[in-house]
Amino acid sequence: MRHFRELSVAGALVLVLIVLAIVAPGFYQAQPLLSLATREAPTLVVACGMALVIIGRQIDISVGSQFAVCSVTAGMLAAQNWPTALVTIAAILLGALLGAINGALVAGLRLPSIVVTLATMVTWREALRWQRQGAFVNLPDRLQWLGLSQTAGQWMLVGVALVVLVAIALAMRHVAAGRFVYAVGTDAEAARLAGIRPQRVTFNTFALLGALTGLAAMMNVAQSPQVDPKSGTGLELKAIAAVVVGGVAISGGRGSLWGVFVGLLLLACVAPALTHLRIEAYWEKAIQGAIILLAVVADGVRSRKARR
Amino acid sequence: MTTPHSRWKTWLFRHETALLLVVVVEWLSFNAIGARFGTLDNNFDILRHTAEIGLLALAMTPIILTGGIDLSVGSLLGLCAILFGKLWRDAGLSPMAAGGITLVIGALAGGLNASLITLLRLPPLIVTLGTYSLFRGLAEAITRGADTFTNFPASFLVLGQERWLGLPTQAWLFLVVAAAMWLLVHRTTYGRSFRAIGFAPEGARHAGIPVQRRLAMVYVLAGIIAALAAIIYTARLGQAKADAGMGYELFAITAVVLGGTSIFGGVGTVHGTLLGVAAIAVLNNGLVHARQPREVAGMLTGALLLLALSGSVVPKLWAAWRARRRSSIPSPAPSRSP
Repeated sequence: MRHFRELSVAGALVLVLIVLAIVAPGFYQAQPLLSLATREAPTLVVACGMALVIIGRQIDISVGSQFAVCSVTAGMLAAQNWPTALVTIAAILLGALLGAINGALVAGLRLPSIVVTLATMVTWREALRWQRQGAFVNLPDRLQWLGLSQTAGQWMLVGVALVVLVAIALAMRHVAAGRFVYAVGTDAEAARLAGIRPQRVTFNTFALLGALTGLAAMMNVAQSPQVDPKSGTGLELKAIAAVVVGGVAISGGRGSLWGVFVGLLLLACVAPALTHLRIEAYWEKAIQGAIILLAVVADGVRSRKARR
Repeated sequence: MTTPHSRWKTWLFRHETALLLVVVVEWLSFNAIGARFGTLDNNFDILRHTAEIGLLALAMTPIILTGGIDLSVGSLLGLCAILFGKLWRDAGLSPMAAGGITLVIGALAGGLNASLITLLRLPPLIVTLGTYSLFRGLAEAITRGADTFTNFPASFLVLGQERWLGLPTQAWLFLVVAAAMWLLVHRTTYGRSFRAIGFAPEGARHAGIPVQRRLAMVYVLAGIIAALAAIIYTARLGQAKADAGMGYELFAITAVVLGGTSIFGGVGTVHGTLLGVAAIAVLNNGLVHARQPREVAGMLTGALLLLALSGSVVPKLWAAWRARRRSSIPSPAPSRSP
């Protein structure tokens, strides 16, 4: 079956939703659901970019730190009375710059992305801690919900995330640049012989992931009256988990953005399900790790069967 | 063609020699800045604080030699520290027995990495990224984010806070593991196979090396050493918390790469790793003595890793670029499988 992987994740999602309907009907109330969707919207934007990087056979574990740097910078600019539109553009550009640094090291110097982004993850995080010493940034009121009412702001943020998802999903299917990412992720040398420049494609995916992370940071800043310099910790794992659970092969070249969307919905519903099942929040990180392992094990078993 | 002269010359231009010089210069310049830096006490202090990261770096060396990576060692250190505390305080075991069981747990956790990597042929990076989250998450879940283990008996704290025969106690353990690792990697056919696997896994298989079994062994060994580091960590601080060893994987990987081991596998030495550990340890301690905030040390370690990585590939890329210009025949793009 062609979309077996995506459909099985969707099946799991339906199962979780049914369980929630039985044990916790309170989950299905419009306002809490909208809040949940708003909270997850920035993660969806980052996960879309992460999907591109992983389809291109690379990985980026520095997005959490990029997110924090962009959030704090956006907050400081807003506090200096920059207009919201300019702050948003600045956050996106800064994110793109941070992503481009990763991209230059990975594509230009041909270094393994896991080690490069491990180094940039720690460097940005520690630099931020050194600069801020843990101090929060207070935001002006007009930034919250982008100056709209709360409900309108929430719909706005969810809408932005969905537009990003649909745009990237369509581009990955129907635009040449999107197909190039699949080609490079499948076999960089074959892609090169077909006239694609693999290093440039890799660089672009990292820069795009950075720009999306900057956008996500802005979407997060708009939700709260303060910016926590520790924000974004563990975001890389959330994004990677959504991508891997959604059926993108970690060895590159395979997977779809729709799968990533379903994977993220599944993960987003797991946390509320756990609270309703009275499992403490301390388990979240362990469960996240277990889910990543389960997803890659499922892929590993399937590809072993396919090889026989 | 190994006249004494040329042998001397190759020694001089070796990576390890350059690194040794870096460490010496680093030490001398910090000695000139910080008043108390050069004292014997402080140097013992450096040794004491380095044992855990040094052990993790030693465990990481054979893994990177085989072309793999283990991001979970820092998290495993945290999990083992918590379980050690749990076994001692809540199960009422002696520190000796608890330590023994902790080592077994470390081996099992390493075995989890090993079996996923070798049985299912999954890439080490995603497997250990998953266990990186899993192990730390288990440590947080077991302690509910708040529980800490303290008041260990003095007989146990000797391991981390006292001296034995002149040196800090844990330094002896570190030296024994370092010597054993050096002998394993450089003086046995078993250890030599690590480099063969990293250089060409398929070639190693055709040469009759049981590649998957050797790989499994390397990850299990890393688990055991991480557990040992957890025990030493607990003894040094006198307490075990869920955040023990957070970020240590970066220090370990940096030390290994700085020590001249290729991140792509196949090339590297254990003594290089030890020098890499020394370079990082002196830097960390020296910055504290030069009154710099702790964050600067972390920042510089990240930057140092990037510099060391770039330094190792730039000459190769430069040579490839020049060769391409001369021949004007398109050369294949170096593709890399993760």
